[in-house]
Amino acid sequence: MKYKQSFLRTLGLIILLQLIGQFSFGQVHSFEAGLRFQKTVDLYYENGISGQYHLTKRIILGASYLSSRLGSAIGSNAIKQDNFLLSGSWMFRPKKPLKPFLRANLGYFTADYESETFKGLTNTSAIASMDAGMAYSFKSPLRLHLSLGYNAITGTGAKGAGTLYPVFCQTSIFWNLAKRKMQ
Amino acid sequence: MKKIILFSLSIVVLVSCNKEPEIDSSMLDSGLYFDQSIYQPEKYLVSASVPAPTSAQAVSPVIIAIHGYGATTFEWDEFRAWKGARTGFSISQVLLGGHGRDYQSFKNSTWRDWRNPIIEEFEKLEKAGYTNISFAGSSTGCTLILKLLADGYFDSHIKPKHIFLIDPIIVPANKTLTLVGVLGPIIGYTKVDNTAGEEKYYYHYRPYETLQQLRNIINEVRIDLQKGITLPAGTTLKVYKSDKDDVADAASAVLIHKGIVSSTGSAPTVVMIPSKLHVFTRLNHRENIPSPGDISNQMGVFADIADGLYK
Repeated sequence: MKYKQSFLRTLGLIILLQLIGQFSFGQVHSFEAGLRFQKTVDLYYENGISGQYHLTKRIILGASYLSSRLGSAIGSNAIKQDNFLLSGSWMFRPKKPLKPFLRANLGYFTADYESETFKGLTNTSAIASMDAGMAYSFKSPLRLHLSLGYNAITGTGAKGAGTLYPVFCQTSIFWNLAKRKMQ
Repeated sequence: MKKIILFSLSIVVLVSCNKEPEIDSSMLDSGLYFDQSIYQPEKYLVSASVPAPTSAQAVSPVIIAIHGYGATTFEWDEFRAWKGARTGFSISQVLLGGHGRDYQSFKNSTWRDWRNPIIEEFEKLEKAGYTNISFAGSSTGCTLILKLLADGYFDSHIKPKHIFLIDPIIVPANKTLTLVGVLGPIIGYTKVDNTAGEEKYYYHYRPYETLQQLRNIINEVRIDLQKGITLPAGTTLKVYKSDKDDVADAASAVLIHKGIVSSTGSAPTVVMIPSKLHVFTRLNHRENIPSPGDISNQMGVFADIADGLYK
Protein backbone atom coordinates (compact mmCIF):
# COMPACT_ATOMS: atom_id res chain seq x y z
CA MET A 1 0.00 0.00 0.00
CA LYS A 2 2.82 2.35 0.97
CA TYR A 3 4.66 1.55 -2.27
CA LYS A 4 1.53 2.34 -4.28
CA GLN A 5 1.13 5.72 -2.58
CA SER A 6 4.79 6.59 -3.15
CA PHE A 7 4.53 5.53 -6.79
CA LEU A 8 1.43 7.67 -7.32
CA ARG A 9 3.06 10.66 -5.60
CA THR A 10 6.17 10.34 -7.74
CA LEU A 11 4.12 9.97 -10.90
CA GLY A 12 2.06 13.02 -9.96
CA LEU A 13 5.21 15.03 -9.34
CA ILE A 14 6.67 14.03 -12.71
CA ILE A 15 3.45 15.00 -14.50
CA LEU A 16 3.38 18.31 -12.63
CA LEU A 17 6.97 19.09 -13.58
CA GLN A 18 6.25 18.21 -17.19
CA LEU A 19 3.19 20.48 -17.20
CA ILE A 20 5.19 23.37 -15.71
CA GLY A 21 7.83 22.75 -18.33
CA GLN A 22 5.27 22.94 -21.12
CA PHE A 23 3.60 25.99 -19.65
CA SER A 24 6.81 28.00 -19.43
CA PHE A 25 8.20 26.93 -22.78
CA GLY A 26 11.04 25.16 -21.00
CA GLN A 27 13.17 22.84 -23.05
CA VAL A 28 16.19 22.44 -20.84
CA HIS A 29 16.50 21.07 -17.34
CA SER A 30 19.85 21.57 -15.83
CA PHE A 31 21.70 21.79 -12.55
CA GLU A 32 24.40 24.27 -11.77
CA ALA A 33 26.57 24.83 -8.72
CA GLY A 34 28.72 27.72 -7.75
CA LEU A 35 29.93 30.33 -5.34
CA ARG A 36 27.97 33.20 -3.89
CA PHE A 37 29.41 36.42 -2.49
CA GLN A 38 27.16 38.67 -0.43
CA LYS A 39 27.77 42.09 1.11
CA THR A 40 25.18 43.32 3.55
CA VAL A 41 24.96 47.10 3.59
CA ASP A 42 26.64 48.39 6.78
CA LEU A 43 27.59 44.90 7.88
CA TYR A 44 29.48 41.83 6.72
CA TYR A 45 30.71 39.99 3.69
CA GLU A 46 29.06 36.60 3.83
CA ASN A 47 30.15 34.11 1.22
CA GLY A 48 29.32 30.53 0.48
CA ILE A 49 28.03 27.98 -1.95
CA SER A 50 24.88 27.76 -3.98
CA GLY A 51 23.17 25.23 -6.20
CA GLN A 52 20.37 25.80 -8.68
CA TYR A 53 18.03 23.52 -10.57
CA HIS A 54 16.46 24.92 -13.74
CA LEU A 55 13.00 23.52 -13.51
CA THR A 56 12.14 25.39 -16.67
CA LYS A 57 13.76 28.18 -18.56
CA ARG A 58 11.79 30.57 -16.41
CA ILE A 59 11.71 28.90 -13.01
CA ILE A 60 14.83 28.12 -11.01
CA LEU A 61 14.93 26.46 -7.61
CA GLY A 62 17.98 26.95 -5.46
CA ALA A 63 19.66 26.25 -2.14
CA SER A 64 22.50 28.24 -0.63
CA TYR A 65 24.70 28.43 2.41
CA LEU A 66 26.28 31.79 3.21
CA SER A 67 28.42 32.61 6.20
CA SER A 68 30.58 35.38 7.60
CA ARG A 69 32.94 32.49 8.49
CA LEU A 70 33.82 32.53 4.79
CA GLY A 71 33.87 36.33 4.68
CA SER A 72 34.26 39.10 7.23
CA ALA A 73 34.94 36.79 10.16
CA ILE A 74 38.11 35.37 8.59
CA GLY A 75 40.90 36.67 10.79
CA SER A 76 38.72 39.33 12.43
CA ASN A 77 36.37 39.87 15.36
CA ALA A 78 33.24 39.84 13.21
CA ILE A 79 30.39 37.71 14.54
CA LYS A 80 30.27 34.25 12.99
CA GLN A 81 26.85 33.93 11.42
CA ASP A 82 25.31 31.47 9.00
CA ASN A 83 22.45 31.68 6.52
CA PHE A 84 20.70 28.59 5.11
CA LEU A 85 18.45 29.46 2.20
CA LEU A 86 15.99 27.93 -0.23
CA SER A 87 14.97 30.06 -3.16
CA GLY A 88 12.74 30.26 -6.19
CA SER A 89 13.57 32.55 -9.12
CA TRP A 90 11.57 33.76 -12.07
CA MET A 91 13.63 34.59 -15.16
CA PHE A 92 12.54 37.20 -17.66
CA ARG A 93 13.68 37.03 -21.34
CA PRO A 94 14.73 33.41 -20.81
CA LYS A 95 16.04 32.95 -24.35
CA LYS A 96 18.42 35.90 -24.16
CA PRO A 97 21.92 35.69 -22.66
CA LEU A 98 21.16 38.65 -20.36
CA LYS A 99 18.15 37.85 -18.21
CA PRO A 100 16.57 39.98 -15.48
CA PHE A 101 15.28 37.88 -12.59
CA LEU A 102 13.29 38.07 -9.38
CA ARG A 103 14.05 35.71 -6.54
CA ALA A 104 12.24 34.87 -3.29
CA ASN A 105 14.28 33.37 -0.48
CA LEU A 106 13.27 31.58 2.70
CA GLY A 107 15.64 30.25 5.25
CA TYR A 108 17.23 30.17 8.65
CA PHE A 109 19.77 32.48 10.25
CA THR A 110 21.97 31.79 13.23
CA ALA A 111 24.74 33.82 14.89
CA ASP A 112 27.34 32.55 17.33
CA TYR A 113 27.86 35.07 20.15
CA GLU A 114 30.55 32.85 21.69
CA SER A 115 29.95 33.81 25.32
CA GLU A 116 27.63 32.76 28.13
CA THR A 117 27.07 36.46 28.85
CA PHE A 118 24.86 36.66 25.77
CA LYS A 119 22.95 33.43 26.16
CA GLY A 120 19.74 35.40 26.81
CA LEU A 121 19.91 37.22 23.48
CA THR A 122 18.10 36.03 20.39
CA ASN A 123 20.65 34.73 17.92
CA THR A 124 18.46 32.88 15.43
CA SER A 125 15.80 33.99 13.01
CA ALA A 126 13.77 32.99 10.01
CA ILE A 127 14.86 34.63 6.78
CA ALA A 128 12.38 35.96 4.23
CA SER A 129 13.93 38.05 1.51
CA MET A 130 13.54 39.11 -2.10
CA ASP A 131 16.23 40.04 -4.54
CA ALA A 132 16.22 41.23 -8.09
CA GLY A 133 19.02 41.39 -10.58
CA MET A 134 20.52 40.26 -13.83
CA ALA A 135 21.85 36.89 -14.91
CA TYR A 136 24.22 36.48 -17.81
CA SER A 137 24.79 33.14 -19.48
CA PHE A 138 28.08 32.77 -21.26
CA LYS A 139 28.58 30.42 -24.20
CA SER A 140 30.54 28.22 -21.84
CA PRO A 141 28.64 26.57 -18.95
CA LEU A 142 29.38 29.68 -16.89
CA ARG A 143 26.60 31.90 -15.58
CA LEU A 144 26.89 35.12 -13.61
CA HIS A 145 24.18 36.55 -11.33
CA LEU A 146 24.19 40.05 -9.84
CA SER A 147 21.38 41.17 -7.57
CA LEU A 148 20.20 43.60 -4.93
CA GLY A 149 18.03 42.26 -2.14
CA TYR A 150 15.92 43.15 0.84
CA ASN A 151 15.43 41.15 4.03
CA ALA A 152 11.86 41.46 5.32
CA ILE A 153 12.84 40.12 8.75
CA THR A 154 15.52 42.01 10.66
CA GLY A 155 16.48 42.49 14.29
CA THR A 156 14.62 45.33 15.99
CA GLY A 157 16.41 45.51 19.30
CA ALA A 158 13.34 44.41 21.22
CA LYS A 159 13.25 41.13 19.30
CA GLY A 160 14.98 39.24 16.54
CA ALA A 161 18.62 38.64 15.76
CA GLY A 162 20.49 41.95 15.95
CA THR A 163 22.89 41.34 13.10
CA LEU A 164 20.26 40.48 10.52
CA TYR A 165 20.28 43.61 8.34
CA PRO A 166 17.90 44.59 5.53
CA VAL A 167 19.79 45.39 2.33
CA PHE A 168 22.32 43.19 0.60
CA CYS A 169 23.96 42.76 -2.78
CA GLN A 170 25.02 39.46 -4.21
CA THR A 171 27.22 38.07 -6.89
CA SER A 172 26.96 34.42 -7.84
CA ILE A 173 29.05 32.45 -10.26
CA PHE A 174 27.55 29.16 -11.44
CA TRP A 175 28.89 26.32 -13.50
CA ASN A 176 26.46 24.11 -15.33
CA LEU A 177 27.10 20.56 -14.19
CA ALA A 178 24.62 18.69 -16.35
CA LYS A 179 22.10 19.31 -19.07
CA ARG A 180 19.24 17.21 -20.30
CA LYS A 181 17.41 18.04 -23.48
CA MET A 182 13.76 17.31 -23.12
CA GLN A 183 12.94 17.72 -26.73
CA MET B 1 7.52 56.29 -21.03
CA LYS B 2 9.64 59.45 -20.98
CA LYS B 3 6.64 61.41 -19.67
CA ILE B 4 6.16 58.93 -16.84
CA ILE B 5 9.83 59.16 -15.88
CA LEU B 6 9.73 62.97 -15.97
CA PHE B 7 6.53 63.03 -13.91
CA SER B 8 8.03 60.67 -11.32
CA LEU B 9 11.20 62.74 -11.12
CA SER B 10 9.26 65.96 -10.59
CA ILE B 11 7.26 64.32 -7.77
CA VAL B 12 10.51 63.21 -6.12
CA VAL B 13 11.94 66.75 -6.50
CA LEU B 14 8.77 68.31 -5.04
CA VAL B 15 8.79 65.91 -2.09
CA SER B 16 12.49 66.57 -1.57
CA CYS B 17 11.91 70.34 -1.44
CA ASN B 18 9.97 70.34 1.84
CA LYS B 19 12.91 69.57 4.09
CA GLU B 20 12.56 72.04 6.94
CA PRO B 21 10.44 70.91 9.88
CA GLU B 22 7.93 73.06 11.70
CA ILE B 23 9.61 73.88 14.99
CA ASP B 24 7.56 75.27 17.85
CA SER B 25 8.62 77.01 21.03
CA SER B 26 8.20 73.91 23.19
CA MET B 27 11.14 72.20 21.50
CA LEU B 28 14.87 72.25 22.16
CA ASP B 29 15.21 72.65 18.38
CA SER B 30 13.77 76.18 18.64
CA GLY B 31 16.92 77.58 20.24
CA LEU B 32 15.00 78.77 23.31
CA TYR B 33 16.42 76.16 25.68
CA PHE B 34 20.18 76.07 25.24
CA ASP B 35 21.83 73.51 27.48
CA GLN B 36 22.67 75.03 30.85
CA SER B 37 26.30 73.90 30.58
CA ILE B 38 26.75 76.57 27.88
CA TYR B 39 25.82 79.37 30.33
CA GLN B 40 27.20 77.86 33.50
CA PRO B 41 30.16 75.64 32.59
CA GLU B 42 31.46 75.76 36.16
CA LYS B 43 28.38 73.80 37.25
CA TYR B 44 29.06 71.04 34.73
CA LEU B 45 32.77 70.92 33.95
CA VAL B 46 35.50 70.22 36.46
CA SER B 47 37.96 72.09 34.25
CA ALA B 48 35.83 75.22 34.79
CA SER B 49 34.94 74.71 38.46
CA VAL B 50 38.42 73.67 39.65
CA PRO B 51 40.86 74.84 36.96
CA ALA B 52 43.85 74.76 39.33
CA PRO B 53 43.52 71.62 41.50
CA THR B 54 45.46 71.03 44.70
CA SER B 55 47.71 67.97 44.72
CA ALA B 56 44.94 66.03 46.51
CA GLN B 57 42.30 67.14 43.99
CA ALA B 58 44.59 66.30 41.09
CA VAL B 59 44.75 62.62 42.06
CA SER B 60 41.07 62.39 43.00
CA PRO B 61 38.94 60.62 40.35
CA VAL B 62 37.21 62.77 37.72
CA ILE B 63 34.69 61.11 35.46
CA ILE B 64 33.80 62.70 32.13
CA ALA B 65 30.15 61.85 31.44
CA ILE B 66 29.09 61.97 27.80
CA HIS B 67 25.52 61.86 26.53
CA GLY B 68 24.16 60.38 23.34
CA TYR B 69 22.96 61.50 19.91
CA GLY B 70 20.26 64.20 20.04
CA ALA B 71 20.48 64.45 23.84
CA THR B 72 22.06 66.95 26.24
CA THR B 73 23.90 66.94 29.56
CA PHE B 74 20.47 66.18 31.04
CA GLU B 75 21.13 62.53 30.28
CA TRP B 76 23.66 62.40 33.13
CA ASP B 77 21.87 64.77 35.56
CA GLU B 78 20.56 61.86 37.61
CA PHE B 79 24.08 60.57 38.15
CA ARG B 80 25.07 64.02 39.41
CA ALA B 81 21.99 64.09 41.64
CA TRP B 82 22.79 60.58 42.90
CA LYS B 83 26.34 61.66 43.72
CA GLY B 84 24.91 64.57 45.70
CA ALA B 85 27.14 65.18 48.68
CA ARG B 86 29.25 62.08 48.11
CA THR B 87 32.84 63.15 48.07
CA GLY B 88 35.79 61.37 46.58
CA PHE B 89 35.12 61.93 42.90
CA SER B 90 33.94 64.67 40.54
CA ILE B 91 31.78 64.64 37.41
CA SER B 92 32.37 66.60 34.23
CA GLN B 93 29.20 66.58 32.14
CA VAL B 94 30.23 67.35 28.60
CA LEU B 95 27.81 68.70 26.00
CA LEU B 96 28.54 67.26 22.57
CA GLY B 97 29.21 69.67 19.73
CA GLY B 98 26.10 70.67 17.77
CA HIS B 99 23.89 69.49 20.64
CA GLY B 100 21.79 71.37 23.17
CA ARG B 101 21.44 74.43 20.94
CA ASP B 102 19.05 74.58 17.97
CA TYR B 103 18.06 72.67 14.86
CA GLN B 104 20.48 74.40 12.50
CA SER B 105 23.46 73.90 14.82
CA PHE B 106 22.59 70.23 15.00
CA LYS B 107 22.04 69.94 11.27
CA ASN B 108 25.40 71.51 10.46
CA SER B 109 27.42 69.35 12.84
CA THR B 110 29.53 66.28 12.08
CA TRP B 111 30.43 63.44 14.41
CA ARG B 112 33.88 65.01 14.77
CA ASP B 113 32.17 68.21 15.96
CA TRP B 114 30.22 66.11 18.46
CA ARG B 115 33.46 64.64 19.77
CA ASN B 116 35.50 67.86 20.09
CA PRO B 117 34.17 68.97 23.51
CA ILE B 118 35.17 65.56 24.95
CA ILE B 119 38.74 66.08 23.79
CA GLU B 120 38.72 69.70 24.97
CA GLU B 121 37.60 68.79 28.47
CA PHE B 122 40.03 65.88 28.71
CA GLU B 123 42.96 68.02 27.59
CA LYS B 124 42.02 70.89 29.92
CA LEU B 125 41.96 68.44 32.83
CA GLU B 126 45.22 66.88 31.73
CA LYS B 127 46.86 70.29 31.36
CA ALA B 128 45.56 71.36 34.76
CA GLY B 129 47.32 68.36 36.31
CA TYR B 130 44.51 65.88 36.85
CA THR B 131 45.87 62.35 36.65
CA ASN B 132 42.89 60.16 37.54
CA ILE B 133 40.44 60.65 34.69
CA SER B 134 37.75 58.18 33.67
CA PHE B 135 34.93 58.22 31.12
CA ALA B 136 31.27 57.29 31.25
CA GLY B 137 29.29 57.31 28.04
CA SER B 138 25.71 56.68 27.11
CA SER B 139 24.60 55.54 23.65
CA THR B 140 26.53 57.49 20.97
CA GLY B 141 28.70 58.96 23.74
CA CYS B 142 30.14 55.43 24.05
CA THR B 143 30.75 55.17 20.32
CA LEU B 144 32.72 58.43 20.41
CA ILE B 145 34.86 57.18 23.31
CA LEU B 146 35.54 53.93 21.44
CA LYS B 147 36.61 55.96 18.40
CA LEU B 148 39.17 57.82 20.54
CA LEU B 149 40.54 54.46 21.68
CA ALA B 150 40.59 53.06 18.15
CA ASP B 151 42.39 56.14 16.82
CA GLY B 152 45.12 55.73 19.43
CA TYR B 153 44.34 59.17 20.88
CA PHE B 154 45.61 58.16 24.33
CA ASP B 155 49.01 57.10 23.00
CA SER B 156 50.18 60.67 23.44
CA HIS B 157 48.09 61.52 26.53
CA ILE B 158 47.63 60.28 30.05
CA LYS B 159 45.69 57.02 30.07
CA PRO B 160 42.11 56.96 31.29
CA LYS B 161 41.63 54.83 34.41
CA HIS B 162 38.19 53.42 33.70
CA ILE B 163 35.66 53.53 30.90
CA PHE B 164 32.00 52.78 31.59
CA LEU B 165 29.62 52.34 28.69
CA ILE B 166 25.85 52.52 29.12
CA ASP B 167 23.89 51.14 26.16
CA PRO B 168 26.59 51.70 23.56
CA ILE B 169 25.37 51.80 19.98
CA ILE B 170 27.31 49.82 17.40
CA VAL B 171 24.36 47.94 15.94
CA PRO B 172 21.33 50.20 15.47
CA ALA B 173 18.05 48.57 16.45
CA ASN B 174 16.29 50.51 13.73
CA LYS B 175 17.93 49.12 10.64
CA THR B 176 16.43 51.87 8.47
CA LEU B 177 19.53 53.84 9.45
CA THR B 178 21.39 51.78 6.85
CA LEU B 179 19.20 53.38 4.16
CA VAL B 180 19.68 56.99 5.25
CA GLY B 181 22.00 57.70 2.33
CA VAL B 182 19.18 56.91 -0.11
CA LEU B 183 16.09 57.94 1.84
CA GLY B 184 17.60 60.87 3.73
CA PRO B 185 17.63 63.45 0.92
CA ILE B 186 13.99 62.58 0.16
CA ILE B 187 12.59 62.72 3.69
CA GLY B 188 14.89 65.50 4.98
CA TYR B 189 14.50 64.66 8.66
CA THR B 190 12.86 62.28 11.09
CA LYS B 191 11.14 63.12 14.36
CA VAL B 192 11.10 61.63 17.82
CA ASP B 193 8.07 61.23 20.05
CA ASN B 194 9.52 62.98 23.08
CA THR B 195 7.46 63.42 26.22
CA ALA B 196 6.65 67.02 27.17
CA GLY B 197 9.47 66.91 29.71
CA GLU B 198 11.96 65.52 27.23
CA GLU B 199 11.21 68.16 24.59
CA LYS B 200 13.52 70.71 26.24
CA TYR B 201 16.43 68.27 26.52
CA TYR B 202 16.24 66.13 23.40
CA TYR B 203 16.01 67.32 19.83
CA HIS B 204 12.56 66.64 18.41
CA TYR B 205 13.77 66.58 14.80
CA ARG B 206 16.72 64.68 13.45
CA PRO B 207 18.07 66.11 10.19
CA TYR B 208 19.12 63.33 7.85
CA GLU B 209 22.58 64.89 7.65
CA THR B 210 23.08 64.05 11.34
CA LEU B 211 21.64 60.57 10.87
CA GLN B 212 24.20 60.08 8.13
CA GLN B 213 26.89 61.23 10.58
CA LEU B 214 25.56 58.78 13.15
CA ARG B 215 25.68 56.01 10.58
CA ASN B 216 29.25 56.98 9.65
CA ILE B 217 30.59 56.89 13.21
CA ILE B 218 28.77 53.64 13.99
CA ASN B 219 30.22 52.01 10.87
CA GLU B 220 33.72 53.27 11.53
CA VAL B 221 33.72 51.95 15.08
CA ARG B 222 32.17 48.64 14.03
CA ILE B 223 35.02 48.16 11.57
CA ASP B 224 37.55 49.25 14.22
CA LEU B 225 36.13 46.62 16.57
CA GLN B 226 36.26 44.06 13.80
CA LYS B 227 39.98 44.74 13.44
CA GLY B 228 40.45 44.83 17.22
CA ILE B 229 41.02 47.60 19.75
CA THR B 230 43.53 47.24 22.58
CA LEU B 231 42.97 49.35 25.68
CA PRO B 232 45.83 51.50 26.97
CA ALA B 233 47.87 49.90 29.76
CA GLY B 234 46.01 50.16 33.06
CA THR B 235 42.66 51.16 31.53
CA THR B 236 39.57 49.04 32.31
CA LEU B 237 36.33 49.00 30.35
CA LYS B 238 32.91 47.86 31.50
CA VAL B 239 29.71 47.69 29.48
CA TYR B 240 26.16 47.81 30.84
CA LYS B 241 23.63 46.94 28.17
CA SER B 242 19.84 46.78 28.15
CA ASP B 243 18.83 43.46 26.67
CA LYS B 244 15.65 44.75 24.98
CA ASP B 245 16.81 48.11 23.70
CA ASP B 246 14.91 49.45 20.70
CA VAL B 247 17.59 52.05 19.86
CA ALA B 248 20.93 50.30 20.38
CA ASP B 249 20.62 46.61 19.64
CA ALA B 250 21.99 44.33 22.36
CA ALA B 251 24.29 42.81 19.74
CA SER B 252 26.32 46.02 20.16
CA ALA B 253 27.61 44.55 23.42
CA VAL B 254 28.63 41.36 21.62
CA LEU B 255 30.73 43.34 19.14
CA ILE B 256 32.44 45.28 21.94
CA HIS B 257 33.09 42.09 23.90
CA LYS B 258 34.67 40.47 20.84
CA GLY B 259 36.44 43.58 19.58
CA ILE B 260 38.22 44.96 22.66
CA VAL B 261 40.99 43.52 24.78
CA SER B 262 42.83 44.99 27.72
CA SER B 263 46.58 45.52 27.55
CA THR B 264 46.92 42.14 29.27
CA GLY B 265 44.71 40.43 26.69
CA SER B 266 41.48 39.99 28.63
CA ALA B 267 38.00 40.78 27.32
CA PRO B 268 36.01 43.64 28.85
CA THR B 269 33.30 42.95 31.40
CA VAL B 270 29.79 43.09 29.97
CA VAL B 271 26.71 43.17 32.18
CA MET B 272 23.40 42.56 30.45
CA ILE B 273 20.63 44.55 32.13
CA PRO B 274 17.04 43.26 32.00
CA SER B 275 15.44 46.43 30.65
CA LYS B 276 13.48 47.80 27.71
CA LEU B 277 14.88 51.30 28.18
CA HIS B 278 17.56 52.83 26.02
CA VAL B 279 20.03 54.53 28.37
CA PHE B 280 18.39 52.80 31.31
CA THR B 281 20.26 55.06 33.75
CA ARG B 282 18.11 58.05 32.71
CA LEU B 283 14.64 57.74 34.22
CA ASN B 284 13.40 61.33 34.47
CA HIS B 285 10.71 62.45 32.02
CA ARG B 286 10.13 58.95 30.67
CA GLU B 287 6.74 58.18 29.18
CA ASN B 288 6.01 55.59 31.86
CA ILE B 289 6.68 55.84 35.57
CA PRO B 290 9.91 53.91 36.22
CA SER B 291 9.34 50.46 37.68
CA PRO B 292 11.13 49.28 40.84
CA GLY B 293 13.32 47.22 38.49
CA ASP B 294 14.26 50.34 36.48
CA ILE B 295 15.19 52.21 39.66
CA SER B 296 17.16 49.25 40.95
CA ASN B 297 19.06 49.01 37.64
CA GLN B 298 19.91 52.71 37.74
CA MET B 299 20.99 52.76 41.37
CA GLY B 300 22.98 49.57 41.02
CA VAL B 301 24.96 50.86 38.06
CA PHE B 302 25.58 54.29 39.60
CA ALA B 303 26.96 52.58 42.71
CA ASP B 304 29.02 50.21 40.60
CA ILE B 305 30.54 53.09 38.61
CA ALA B 306 31.35 55.02 41.78
CA ASP B 307 32.93 51.90 43.36
CA GLY B 308 34.88 51.28 40.18
CA LEU B 309 36.43 54.73 40.27
CA TYR B 310 38.29 53.86 43.48
CA LYS B 311 39.82 50.66 42.11
